[in-house]
Amino acid sequence: MLQLRELRKTFFAGTHNEVRALRGVSLQIDDGSFVIVIGTNGSGKSTLLNAVAGSFYVDQGAINIAGTDVTRWPEHRRAAMIGRVFQNPFSGTAPSMTVAENLALAARRGLRRGLGRLLPARIHTELRDRVATLNMQLENRMNNPIGTLSGGQRQALTLLMATWRRPDLLLLDEHTAALDPKSADQIVRLTEQIVSQHRLTTLMVTHSMQQAATLGDRIVMMNQGSVLADYRAAERRHIRAEDLVRRFDEIRRDELLDASAAEMLRAQYL
Amino acid sequence: MTLLLSAWTIGLILSLLSLGVYISYRVFKFADITADGSITFGAAVAASMLTHGVHPVTSSIAAFAAGCAAGLCTGILHTRFRINQLLSGILVMTALYSINLHVMGQSNLPLLSVTTLTTYAQDLGRWLTGHDSATLFGWPVSARDAGSLVLSAAIVFIIALIAWLFFNTNLGSAMRASGDNEQMIRALGVSVENMIVLGLCISNGLVAFAGALLAQYQGFADVQMGIGMIVWGLASVIIGRALTGTDSAGAALTGTIMGSVLFRLIIAVALRWGLNPNDLKLVTAIFVFGALVLPMLMQKVRSHAAAS
Ligand SMILES: Nc1ncnc2c1ncn2[C@@H]1O[C@H](COP(=O)(O)OP(=O)(O)OP(=O)(O)O)[C@@H](O)[C@H]1O
Ligand SMILES: [Mg+2]
Repeated sequence: MLQLRELRKTFFAGTHNEVRALRGVSLQIDDGSFVIVIGTNGSGKSTLLNAVAGSFYVDQGAINIAGTDVTRWPEHRRAAMIGRVFQNPFSGTAPSMTVAENLALAARRGLRRGLGRLLPARIHTELRDRVATLNMQLENRMNNPIGTLSGGQRQALTLLMATWRRPDLLLLDEHTAALDPKSADQIVRLTEQIVSQHRLTTLMVTHSMQQAATLGDRIVMMNQGSVLADYRAAERRHIRAEDLVRRFDEIRRDELLDASAAEMLRAQYL
Repeated sequence: MTLLLSAWTIGLILSLLSLGVYISYRVFKFADITADGSITFGAAVAASMLTHGVHPVTSSIAAFAAGCAAGLCTGILHTRFRINQLLSGILVMTALYSINLHVMGQSNLPLLSVTTLTTYAQDLGRWLTGHDSATLFGWPVSARDAGSLVLSAAIVFIIALIAWLFFNTNLGSAMRASGDNEQMIRALGVSVENMIVLGLCISNGLVAFAGALLAQYQGFADVQMGIGMIVWGLASVIIGRALTGTDSAGAALTGTIMGSVLFRLIIAVALRWGLNPNDLKLVTAIFVFGALVLPMLMQKVRSHAAAS
């Protein structure tokens, strides 16, 4: 379903601030697979998802979604295949527009937008029914500006919007990180339910080892812009949160070692 | 009475300018100074066509199209060539100054001896009142003034209705969302760049149309008539926002029109009370400045009060 070949991306190339955010990432993700992406801050997880979504073009490599090479497609064109939920609950909805308007906009993701009415009379029941499945009583607030809702409510609606039309690929970037524990839990359960119900191919970034260990069928661990570990099948099934934490500690120790070794060399030779 | 009617009429005509500014400034947060050039562009195109004997309706629609072209240029400069908003507008506005002179052939083009929409307005007024003049609340009113007011109100009503319908279509809603949350609407498959270009097209089309109506109402087009018009539009939009307070398209459109008329009435009264016409732009600028910083000050005062 998703094929990434040798993706490379460098920000501020050739300057003092050069960041090699992706250093040759290759991944092959099967149809219907639910992949959890973990890694330390700055390891390139968001960059990877942004590259797939087309927020910028990669410097090298190829991106193939559902058999189509989209490497040179602009973001809005790829959106026909991709549903997205961002870390910031404010990012996924248009605050001054109503709940119903936001949903109706999402119902046409990737379709032509012409001079038909956004909210024809017949669409209202469908909107309400699907919002009712969230069990958040939001179906009574369809005409409120979505900006008046809480972060958790907005994130739930964003998830609903991203999957309103079945996407070939669902990208979730720490979509529960900004929520209180209870709302985060609710969103996680909702995510599970939607992903399994529609058998969505999903890439989900998280910092929660708990989520990583319990969700999905594959774990990809990133470090310094490359894939460090890829747990799948049996290996994935036996992994526990503690194993992941230990692996992180190892990485941290290695990096510290690298840093102190470099410091020592610098002190000796420079 | 004539003064009052004319203030109403000009307020209504310029509310089309304000609707244009509403699209650029409120929908896209794009301070589009092209408006200063495109209102004159509309006046120039219409005036020039009228003096060549073209029908007033055709001339006015051509003015709208001319404004669209100006907005298209600004939009392309900004989205394709990545020139900053203000600079894109300034470039097109500056270029339009020369273009307007070419279109008119002189710096002022009188329309006194040609058939314009005002001619029709006068006929309409005569038909409505039955005479060349009538009395309203005991005041004499000329058929021309009455007709112009009715005609401009009808035109503004129709255009506002079309705008409202448009903003509730799939396309128009995507446009509103582009201004509200770029990241979101991109993720839903809309090219924000295209929306900006289209929005600026429509915006400047409306502005130019207002210019065409204004020229026909005052009986001339002048190459200087656009100076400071963007600020006028901003003032109307800001008053409109204060009047209605909500973000729904219908309320915002109505508010903007009311803001434009109200602002013109305030100015008419101020002039009546002895405001020097030369100070008009200064006063307008100060007003907009006040309206922009007042909410900020209020916020400060409020948080200060809450803290102590
Ligand atoms: N648009 C950008 N412009 C410049 N630098 C960027 C951009 N996006 C990411 N980076 C840099 O690329 C590196 C990887 O960032 P990225 O956001 O992908 O990390 P992450 O794994 O998502 O981290 P976190 O867990 O903190 O979200 C960082 O050093 C970051 O500063
Ligand atoms: Mg991130």
